[in-house]
Amino acid sequence: MAEKKKPSVFPLKCAVNGEKVEREIDSSRTLLEFIRGDLGLKGTKEGCGEGECGACMVLVDGRAVNSCLMMAVQLHGKELVTIEGIKGRDGGLHPLQKTFMAEGAVQCGFCTPGLIVASEALLRRNPKATLEEIKLELTGNLCRCTGYEKVLSAVEKARGK
Amino acid sequence: MPEIIVKPPNLKELWKMLPGLPSDRRYLAGGTDLVTADNAGAEHSECWIDISGLPELTGIKETAGSLFIGSGVKISEIERSAAARKWCPALAAAIPHFASPSLRNMATLGGNAANGSPCADGVCALVAEGAYALLALRGKKRRLPLKDLFLGPKRTALKKDEVILGFEIPKRRRAGAYFKLGPRAYFGISKAAVAVTAEISGGLIKKARVALGSVAPVPLYAARTSAWLLGKKLSAATIAGAADLVKAEASPITDTRSAADYRRDMCGVLLERALKSLA
Repeated sequence: MAEKKKPSVFPLKCAVNGEKVEREIDSSRTLLEFIRGDLGLKGTKEGCGEGECGACMVLVDGRAVNSCLMMAVQLHGKELVTIEGIKGRDGGLHPLQKTFMAEGAVQCGFCTPGLIVASEALLRRNPKATLEEIKLELTGNLCRCTGYEKVLSAVEKARGK
Repeated sequence: MPEIIVKPPNLKELWKMLPGLPSDRRYLAGGTDLVTADNAGAEHSECWIDISGLPELTGIKETAGSLFIGSGVKISEIERSAAARKWCPALAAAIPHFASPSLRNMATLGGNAANGSPCADGVCALVAEGAYALLALRGKKRRLPLKDLFLGPKRTALKKDEVILGFEIPKRRRAGAYFKLGPRAYFGISKAAVAVTAEISGGLIKKARVALGSVAPVPLYAARTSAWLLGKKLSAATIAGAADLVKAEASPITDTRSAADYRRDMCGVLLERALKSLA
């Protein structure tokens, strides 16, 4: 058996959910592996591993990205927000989390963190997004329980909150 | 995954770093193609060089005669740029059809070109804009028409370690359109795509460029159709004639995404729609 080579280490500096993080990481880790493995934040999911499903979506410098296709070293100097960092102003549930619950937009829940992250990215940029704009923004988030109608109505109800 | 990823702070440092790196190396930009290929087991380089932060590859800049779009510019940055929307009408029209919003926040225009895929939406549109690719290898720079960068599926004219600095697009007032046929309205890989730009004055076409995606081994500049349009009125007869001609220029294959005959026919339909939208 070939000897396992030592990982190459990269000194990563970034912010995670508002807190500074400095850590030596294996440079060959994806951002998703860093989030779930190194940081232990399990709200971000791995679905397809090829950027199709959106279950792994997080915000980097305020923009939604697929963490399965970004390398952790690419977070250097940037600000990461995962689903754990999406909160209401009072520190409780975020308006999107409340409307997702109220509308019954969650079935198995696997796609929910990604959907909330993508919706939050849209509403931060465009608090009055139309239904059409919401649909376009969520083209990269798959829900296999097919709860899209309720998801769309939850995002519509969270506008301006 | 590669055993090592390095992150040079600028181009000068990149050139200095190269001799010390494993020779089995590739550039990493947005990662949306490269990391996918790695996750799928189709990419096995020992070393990736992350060029996504190189300052020389950033920004959209206007000069007197041209617009420069850095190769590291994300697709969503182009979407937000008023200058890009003004001077690159076909590229602007292609962007909503480029993957998904989150992938557009990651993918770069340079990566779209370097990946060498015949279905690259951004590249197909840029070919119709008459863009040039600006390349650098250590101190040496060169500039070539973007259409000549592509040699075959996933094969480009880039030399080992050569970097795409960016794209230069001539600033000329032109109309443009991008029509794509995929498996659904958004977020799908095209079966066929048509990009077109035209300068029309006094009712006549003074300049036209037609480019095709997913219907040839490379993003294809349809030279014969583009030339045939010159000096003609944008009439129903011209549009029908161009649609016929473009079908003969495409050389599609049958694969998992579509059938060759259907793709060829759709080139005609899409060009017809694109030209009608300019009229």
